This record gives sequence, structure tokens and C-alpha cells, in this order.
Amino acid sequence: MTKVLRPIENILEEIGSGLLFLREVLATLIHRPCSAHLVYEQIWKVTIQSLATTGMAGFFVGAIMTVQFTLQMKEFGALGYLGGLATSGTIREVGPLLIAFMLSGKVGAFTSAELGTMKVTEQIDAIRCLGANPIQEIILPRFIGIVISSFFLLTLGLVMSVLGGMMMGNLFAGVSPDEYLRHIPTIVTFPSILSGLFKCFVFAIVLATVCTYRGYSTTGGAKGVGQSVVKTAVATMVGIVVADWLTSHISDSILKLFLGA
Amino acid sequence: MIEFKQIIKSFGSRTVLKGISFAIQEGEIVFILGTSGTGKSVLLKNLVGLLQPDSGEIWIDKQETSRLTELEYLEIRKKVGMVFQQPALFDSLSIFENVAYGLRKHYRLSEDEIKAKVSKALSLVQLKNIEEKFPAQTSYGMQKRVSLARTIALEPKVLLFDEPTTGLDPVTTNAINFLIKDLSQKLNTTSIVVSHDMHCALEIADKIIVLDQGQIIDQGTPAELKKSTVPLTKDFLAEVLA
Repeated sequence: MTKVLRPIENILEEIGSGLLFLREVLATLIHRPCSAHLVYEQIWKVTIQSLATTGMAGFFVGAIMTVQFTLQMKEFGALGYLGGLATSGTIREVGPLLIAFMLSGKVGAFTSAELGTMKVTEQIDAIRCLGANPIQEIILPRFIGIVISSFFLLTLGLVMSVLGGMMMGNLFAGVSPDEYLRHIPTIVTFPSILSGLFKCFVFAIVLATVCTYRGYSTTGGAKGVGQSVVKTAVATMVGIVVADWLTSHISDSILKLFLGA
Repeated sequence: MIEFKQIIKSFGSRTVLKGISFAIQEGEIVFILGTSGTGKSVLLKNLVGLLQPDSGEIWIDKQETSRLTELEYLEIRKKVGMVFQQPALFDSLSIFENVAYGLRKHYRLSEDEIKAKVSKALSLVQLKNIEEKFPAQTSYGMQKRVSLARTIALEPKVLLFDEPTTGLDPVTTNAINFLIKDLSQKLNTTSIVVSHDMHCALEIADKIIVLDQGQIIDQGTPAELKKSTVPLTKDFLAEVLA
């Protein structure tokens, strides 16, 4: 019985430690904020690093969704609604999820490897010995940078998904760009855009928390850094899926409450 | 000046330090010897507040430090500097900025004062004209010296060395050992060196402590240790005498 419960206990312990780490990061943000220069540096680095990948991922997510919708809608002769429905599905659900997966591989793995290496080469201990707070100097700029950049990149990915969908609609289903865009404002409502953006924001926080936490808690030399990267990839994807499920419920409830959507 | 009283430290079910007690006087050079995994580095990390003992007391200059908070430890870390086993330099900063890092964090100094202190620290470790270089552009031996310069720039009263010569060639090893002795005299610091190097310990230490499985099994001056009958001490000595 203990053997069965041990993995569950470990997972719960990891989640608890991760949440305590997030609390420490947020407390540092309030009481001892880091320099704005360090944050700009991280925003620039993360954005430049992932701009092309995210744009491309968004473009193809939109294209894939359009192909799938075309196959279904052709039978009903409703291709005029292709743009509206494909964009709605992409923005509300599939787009943020798939683009966040892409970002977790790129930004998450890089950050946890970078922090993990700093940890095992005693750079983080050195920072403490030299009178600085590693959470304030190292973690906070990366955390804020990743949240802001990821939110921007996810949003950009969604814009690119509309372009990808429009192009595929034209090539694959013969729907002109004008026709594709015509029903988007009526089907893709303001609440659904808000819901998509809310998801992007939550996914960005999940990604930033997991990769900084995993990197910062790395132990055990080069092997430990490798394990941290793998754990970051797995934990981020699971975290994003769980967050997707949660935010779907939360955003729907909030929107129904305030906007009657 | 520094006193460990019954220090116990465990990681999970493994007890690494099992009631360590000893005292160090001001200006002494103390070597802590022992095989790998006997808790030597853990002992140093407890002293500088990177780890906290499960029980026991650590006294530095008549102040009990084992239960201080991270913020309270800042003052202790001005007095106690640590040179890590790895150079632990910050890759994205130049050598100048690496050495200046602690000065900027601990004190409010003008840029001229920082330049003077960085220059002095680098010259004490016999490095010149490398301020603009980045760690990746220097050799491992140089990085070790820069790491030492970064620590002594803060002018600590106590210097902790965690295996300072690991991974270095014999020539650089001798140079670093000479530096430890030289700095101790020039800066009037107390030094604690964790090492496997009995040869160096016999040459420059005032006192040698031998650790085994988390306990002190032998200690004394180099002359006393040479006459020791403790098997592990004899093993360390055999290598030197051979």
C-alpha cells in the first residue's frame, strides 16, 4: 500500500513546494522588487528567442483547425461560417493550449536548464554569500519576464492562427479571405476573446512558476540538470492541461455572471 | 573567535554531521581533512548560513549564528567570505563586475572606490588586465583566482575555502596554497580550508582537523598530527611521506 501511495505523496509534495516557492516569489515582488532593467532584459531575451517558433506554431494551429472544420462543414454546405467557427475554436481552446505547449518546450526547458546549471555550479550560493537575495536577483526577473513575454507570445500566436486559418481556408476550401473574416465578429464574441486571453495569462504563470521552481530546486550535477529539464517539460504540460480545464470553468462562470455570455 | 558546539546536521535519514565541536582562534589557518562525503563542505556551509544545523550552536565573534534569518545573515557574510569548490563566477558578467558584485550588494560605494577595491583584490591574487574579460575567456585556474578575489574584495575577517585546489594542475595548486597563506598574513584573516591535501596542510596549517563519517577523529598542530596513531590520519600522511 505504501508503494502505491508514495508516488501520489511525492506529487502532492512537489505541488506544495511549488506553491510555497510561488508565494516566496510573489512576496519578494511586493517587498523587495527587482530592478526594472533585469526584467526588460528577460522580456527581450524570451521574446526574441521564441518569436518565430510561436508565430509559426500559431499559424499552423489555425491552419489545422480550418482543415478540420472544412471537412465537417462541407457536408452541410455551411462553409460561409468556416472563419467564425474555426477562429472561435482556436481562440477559446486549442490555440492557447497548443502554443503554450510549444512555449513550455522552448522557454521552460531553457530557463530550468539555465537556473539548474547556476544551482549546481554554486552560483546561487555565491549570490547569497555576496549579500544578495537569489529570488530577487535571479528568479524574479525571469518570472516576470516569462509571464509578460509568454502572454504576448501567446496572443501573437492567436493572431497568427487567424492568418493561418484564413490562408488554409482559401487554399483548401476555396473560401475567400473576405468571406472567411466576415463571420468572425459575430461568432467570436468579446467574452470568448477575453476567455482566450485569460487562459494565455494563466498558462504564462504556470509556465513561469514551474520552470523557475524546477531550475531553482535542481540538485545533483549535470545529471540533475537533465532531470530538471525533463521534469519541467512534463510538469508544465500537465499543469497547463489542468489549468486549461480550471480556467474553462472559471472564465465561463465569470463571463456568465458579469456579461451574461 | 569561531566555535562549533555539538553540531548535528541530517539530510533525510542520513546524518552527515554527528555532534561536531571545535574552536578556532583569530588569525589561525585551520585545515579540515577527510575522505569524500564526510561532511566537510556541509560544515562550512553551516558556518556561512547556506545551511542551518538541526541542533547545536555556532558562535562567531561572540554571536550565536545558527538560528539567524537570511536577512540577519547579511552582516555575518560581510565578515565571513566563502570561496567555493567551483569558481561559481557569473557567466554574463565581466571579471570586473564579478569581483565588484559583492561590493555593490553589501556597501554603498562610489564607482571610484569600487574600481580601487576590485583592482586591489585582483592584484592580491596576482591577476592583471583581465577586468574586461568574461569568465569563459579565462582558464579554470584564473577563474579560481577571480573567485578568491571576489571574496577578498569584501575584506572579510574569516575566509572559508571549499577544496580550493580541486581540478587544478600542480603548479596552480601550489600557487593557490601560497595565496591562502599569503592572504592570511597580509589581510590578517582567519582561514578554514576544506581539503584532501595533507601535504599542503602540513606546510601552511596552524591546526588540522580530521573528519570521518561526520565526526572529528583527530586534531592538532601539523607536528602533533605527524605523530598520530589514528588510521585515517596515517593513511593521509602515508601519501605525503611516500
